[in-house]
Amino acid sequence: MNKILATIQKEWILLRRDVAGAMLLFLMPAVLIVVMAMVQDAPFKDYQELRFDLLIADNDHGRLANEIKNGLRQSQNFHVVDSIDGKPITESQLQTLLKAGKYRVGIVIPKGATAEVVNAANMVANRLSEKLGMGKLPARELRDSMYVRMYFDPVSKPTFRMSISFALDKYITYSCSNLLVGRLSKLGLSQTDMVLADSTGSDDFKRIFQGIGIKEEALNDKGSMKLFINSVQHNVPAWAIFGMYFIVIPIAGNMLREREERSSLRIQLIPYAHNFEALGKIFFYTLICTAQFAVMCGIGLWLLPHMGLPALYLGQHPTAIIPIAICIALSATAFGYLVGVVFKTATQATPFGAISVVIMSAMGGIWVPVDLLPGIMQQLANVSPLHWGLDAINHIILRNGNINNVLPHLGMLIVFSTVLFLISLYVNRSRIHSVQ
Amino acid sequence: MAYAIEIANLHKTYKGGWTPALDGLSVHVHEGQIMGLLGPNGAGKSTTINILCGLVAPDSGHATIFGKDCSKHTLELRKTIGVVPQQIAMFGNLTAWENLRYIGSLYGLSSKQVKERANDLLARLGLDKHADKRINRYSGGMKRRANIIASLLHQPSLIILDEPTAGVDVQSRAMILDFLKEYNQQGKTIVYTSHLMEEAEQICDEVVIIDEGKFVISGAPLQLIKNTTDCKRLEDVFLHYTGHSVRD
Repeated sequence: MNKILATIQKEWILLRRDVAGAMLLFLMPAVLIVVMAMVQDAPFKDYQELRFDLLIADNDHGRLANEIKNGLRQSQNFHVVDSIDGKPITESQLQTLLKAGKYRVGIVIPKGATAEVVNAANMVANRLSEKLGMGKLPARELRDSMYVRMYFDPVSKPTFRMSISFALDKYITYSCSNLLVGRLSKLGLSQTDMVLADSTGSDDFKRIFQGIGIKEEALNDKGSMKLFINSVQHNVPAWAIFGMYFIVIPIAGNMLREREERSSLRIQLIPYAHNFEALGKIFFYTLICTAQFAVMCGIGLWLLPHMGLPALYLGQHPTAIIPIAICIALSATAFGYLVGVVFKTATQATPFGAISVVIMSAMGGIWVPVDLLPGIMQQLANVSPLHWGLDAINHIILRNGNINNVLPHLGMLIVFSTVLFLISLYVNRSRIHSVQ
Repeated sequence: MAYAIEIANLHKTYKGGWTPALDGLSVHVHEGQIMGLLGPNGAGKSTTINILCGLVAPDSGHATIFGKDCSKHTLELRKTIGVVPQQIAMFGNLTAWENLRYIGSLYGLSSKQVKERANDLLARLGLDKHADKRINRYSGGMKRRANIIASLLHQPSLIILDEPTAGVDVQSRAMILDFLKEYNQQGKTIVYTSHLMEEAEQICDEVVIIDEGKFVISGAPLQLIKNTTDCKRLEDVFLHYTGHSVRD
């Protein structure tokens, strides 16, 4: 028993003397709990509890469009955006904004929507007048092509689309119905008359009564985006990026070992060798990380289809993924290098390295889409390199973008990597001379 | 004879240090000499070496190697000096040959130069048959020899060795000392620290004894023995000047 107690005492002394390591053991899980609790809160909430920016392109400019917009504005779920810089949003502008990933959902109210609803009201009135022996109002057949068109950012998940679609449908139908009822009231028909008329139970009548419908359309004219939204499209790149960032453990471990075995001293004694060694390490591990990403994509392309899952679709510009993967790999390597330089012991580096990657991935939308995160977390997502990487990949494989669409992402990843690398060199230089 | 090293009035106190590591140390080393830098623990030997190779900056005073200030021309000087650290500063999971190939390339040597020099040094220090063995699997003596080879690949004019024979067997020690003497005969200057007085007596042209960061005495080992009362060995001279009290 004394021997066990002695061991416990010895371990306690060692831990106490590695203050930074001991603090990290408690601090990192604490940060993890806070971040994960906030991130994982979203899946426990119904999408309808959340509030989204909703783009509206109003081509109707009629009463129906106003009813729809007012109805949506009163909703807790949507923040209606129908103009930018004081100018009404056009349909093409709406599509561009969604393709750029700046908004998640938008609707286009077609030209003549109000007229269509008025026509529907006339048709209903004619049905009623037919039953009540009254005269006929001018009416034409309903146009099947008349729909409020709904567009989604291709990155949006099917469950999100369904929830938003349901909520929007509810508001649009409500607005149409309001307009219809108002119109019929003006004609002197009561709701009881309408119920009587509806008692025929014809589907056609219900269709007319609903005014115009709502229909989801693909943003990209190259094919239905629904085809590409699946677990493989999200999970393969997301978890590949997550895995790439785990390079921090071997890099930091390797650097700590080299410091412990004093081979790093040899490097210090050779003129300029430290810089070359640092660059060599970054280059090597960047290659390893890129290869890792390629293997993960290969699994999505060729292995998962054999397991009953859809194959990974790489978009219309798959070669654009190569520079993205290299930039993500570079940022992961630079982060690992910084951890290896900053921390003095494995007790410090390992928990920090592993948990920081989990935190950055949670913040970056790997676990839960960024849109569903609380406001503050959405702001923080903008500083997560994993988010930049994932968003860039999504531009290519979900939004069918090309290299030009991801240049800002690549720029941020390169700047991030360069800054981390320069900090590492500075810290390392300071450490060499800290003994002074 | 020109000086390879000139150390003048060096002062160094480490952050949080109670006493100065160097307290006005002045030492000269002639070119082509084997100079033994001797002193008890904490005398300032390692600090002096670290200042010479630019790893530590002095608080005041100056140190020059071949006339160039160690603090200002660190990178340039590292091309002309070979430092053999007390620790085995090599990649344990690489073989000796892989280590030397990497270190040689960092010194800017061509593959041919690395191969020629490494083969020569490995043979001279008895490691040619073990070049493909990982350093981790070497014995203590083999590691020490490999450590020396790695510091000499770029053919430095000045070699600074910090206890190169610590913890090695008699055979390895003899091989290392013979090698150093042979290397010195090629006109190279060698600065060497050790706690083994017998060893210093055997190979050094001159020894400098320092204590508590200060110069104590210097001279040829035999001359020092002769000039110091009741001393028959260098160890007696050392104890005479540095005392018998144990150092912390």
